[in-house]
Amino acid sequence: MVVAELIQYVATGLLVGGVYALMSIGLALIFGVMRVVNFAQGDFMMLGMYLTFFYAMAGVDPLLGALLTIPPFFALGWVVHRGLLARVTGGGDPQRQMDAQLILTLGLSLVITNAATMILTPTPRGIRTAYATQAFALGPILLNQARSYAFAMALVLAAGVYVFLTRTDVGRALRASADDPEAASYQGIDVRAMHGLAFGVGIALVAAAGGLLATYYPIEPSVAGNFIVLMFVAVVLGGLGSIPGAFVGGLVIGLVQSLTLLVLPFQLQNTGVFIVFLLVLYLRPQGLFGRRARTV
Amino acid sequence: MSLRIRTLTVTLAMMLAAAVIVPPVPAADDVKIALVAPLSGRWARQGQLKKMGADMAIEEINAQGGIKALGGAKLVLREADAGDSVEKAVSAAQRVLTREKISAGIGSWLSSFTLGVTEVAERLQVPWLTLSYADSITERGFKYTFQTSPVSSLQAEQALELVTDLAKKNNRPIKKAAIVGDNTAATVFFFKPLREKLLAAKGIELVVDEVWTPPLADATAIVQKLRAAQPDIVFYGATNFPDSIQVLQKVKEFSVKSPIQGVGAWLVTPEYVKTLGKEMLDSIQTVVATHPMKGQEEFVKKFMQRTGEPFMTQDPLCTYGHVWLIKEAIEQAKSADPKAIRDALAKIDLTSGPAATSFYPNRIKFDERGRRVGATPLIVQWQGGEPFTVVPTAVATRPVAWHK
Repeated sequence: MVVAELIQYVATGLLVGGVYALMSIGLALIFGVMRVVNFAQGDFMMLGMYLTFFYAMAGVDPLLGALLTIPPFFALGWVVHRGLLARVTGGGDPQRQMDAQLILTLGLSLVITNAATMILTPTPRGIRTAYATQAFALGPILLNQARSYAFAMALVLAAGVYVFLTRTDVGRALRASADDPEAASYQGIDVRAMHGLAFGVGIALVAAAGGLLATYYPIEPSVAGNFIVLMFVAVVLGGLGSIPGAFVGGLVIGLVQSLTLLVLPFQLQNTGVFIVFLLVLYLRPQGLFGRRARTV
Repeated sequence: MSLRIRTLTVTLAMMLAAAVIVPPVPAADDVKIALVAPLSGRWARQGQLKKMGADMAIEEINAQGGIKALGGAKLVLREADAGDSVEKAVSAAQRVLTREKISAGIGSWLSSFTLGVTEVAERLQVPWLTLSYADSITERGFKYTFQTSPVSSLQAEQALELVTDLAKKNNRPIKKAAIVGDNTAATVFFFKPLREKLLAAKGIELVVDEVWTPPLADATAIVQKLRAAQPDIVFYGATNFPDSIQVLQKVKEFSVKSPIQGVGAWLVTPEYVKTLGKEMLDSIQTVVATHPMKGQEEFVKKFMQRTGEPFMTQDPLCTYGHVWLIKEAIEQAKSADPKAIRDALAKIDLTSGPAATSFYPNRIKFDERGRRVGATPLIVQWQGGEPFTVVPTAVATRPVAWHK
């Protein structure tokens, strides 16, 4: 019975972590390629949840709806990059650039949250799916169906991103721009276009994660606040800018949140996460998958 | 490109300008009252509901000739966003109360917010009406705070009394109870007496006691414990909507059959039906400070027509009552001065009119602590996708149905 209980906690943690992982990949990709800390990431996730909700209203299954958020959000990311971010990246004093980016993404986050509150109203909405309240039973272990589907799709999407980055020319060009923008541009890579691509993909991924989340989690304009800190923790835990790192970081957070409950009361659920976070930072400052930072 | 940026800049500048332009200056004799409630963040929906009630009352009062004692002065609402943290709520109160002369205030829904906001009101000597439940709100010797709701500990006592009684009548005596909820102030004060004395006094064993800090990551562990312990009643307090949805979805997933007794009106908002479906909600009940009662059907219909809401709940009803109560106090004080209104509120004894009928029992009189004398909670139960007042029977709109 004790073993079964432990397995249940681990399984629950992994299922929760799967969606954290997908959310975090987008953030890591944007940071890895562009060195931009995107505070508005959670708000794009919220918009992805709403789009999935509207798809569901039109009769599209939310799991498919989550995938269908990818093209429009890729385009949105591209446009936001072209119209706003490109103006504060590439060239100039890096410190001032960093400040401008922080202010820009933070401002974007405030504008999106408040515009959503005004236009979509603060009334929470939810997609009613049969699988949100059903479980796959593996003996005594219960796996929530919505979370299982979301987990599986998060894995597939993450694998897709990984293959894209390591097996395609565009992916290689993207990584080259991340590693050394200057050398990449000497090789004929359009670094600015790569940044647009990275931002588009990053936003599309988090929107898809939002769509998957919406299959079992209510949607409201302020929903980003419940996840944004965890996303950042996952990205830093995994090693700033590392895609596999962010994925594992997300899984670790879910797992730690769940396993913390075995030893600590519920109120301290996130304490476990931050203790692990501090330990990792102390013992391995570059994060689980990070390379030692280039020193200036 | 540059044209687009220019258009964007102009639009942004206009939005900014709109934000700083001061709202139209009211005529000199208008009486301003403040509503500090969450209008953004995770409790924004509750603030929106409160505002609906306030707007309705103000419109009625002004349409009926305003405040007669002040020569027909109109009431004007100044709302401030309490946001999603105590700090934001306090600074919102500070801002709204110092910017211009406010005669009285209402807010701020979440007890944790109210505790902070009433400190500001006390310091600035502005009378403050609240629907928040936490006992501590009126335990600090404040002179300007008036609490119309029965306090949490009293609600706990009466809710327990009621459910044990109902269970006994249905031949399912309560032997094991569970406590499940977040650690916001009202919930804490509801759970505390249950945990410390009330359950033990009735010989009920507390088998699950799980409290979290919102937001809840996942409800599996909690509901697993409920499934294992099979309590005869679950005392439930999850003020944050996503947390509550996660718990209730899991309750269904794990086929937990224990009856659920909530604390607070957050459990009876229309979005629950849309997110969970009416079958899942049936017979879940909650204890609230007020809810539409027998005889208020016409009034509720008017509210629904105005707002498009499918039914009325505590938050708009209470705030509606509060605005009317302020109006009555101003009439009695014959002044818009906050101190005079405070003194009038301390002496007021209303048994009829829109203010009194918004609360149960229909009487508004405050004791020296600022608590409404005789305030009794109502029990509201989901039946067929709508929440009805079921207890006390004198004002019930439907008979109570015990969990099958």
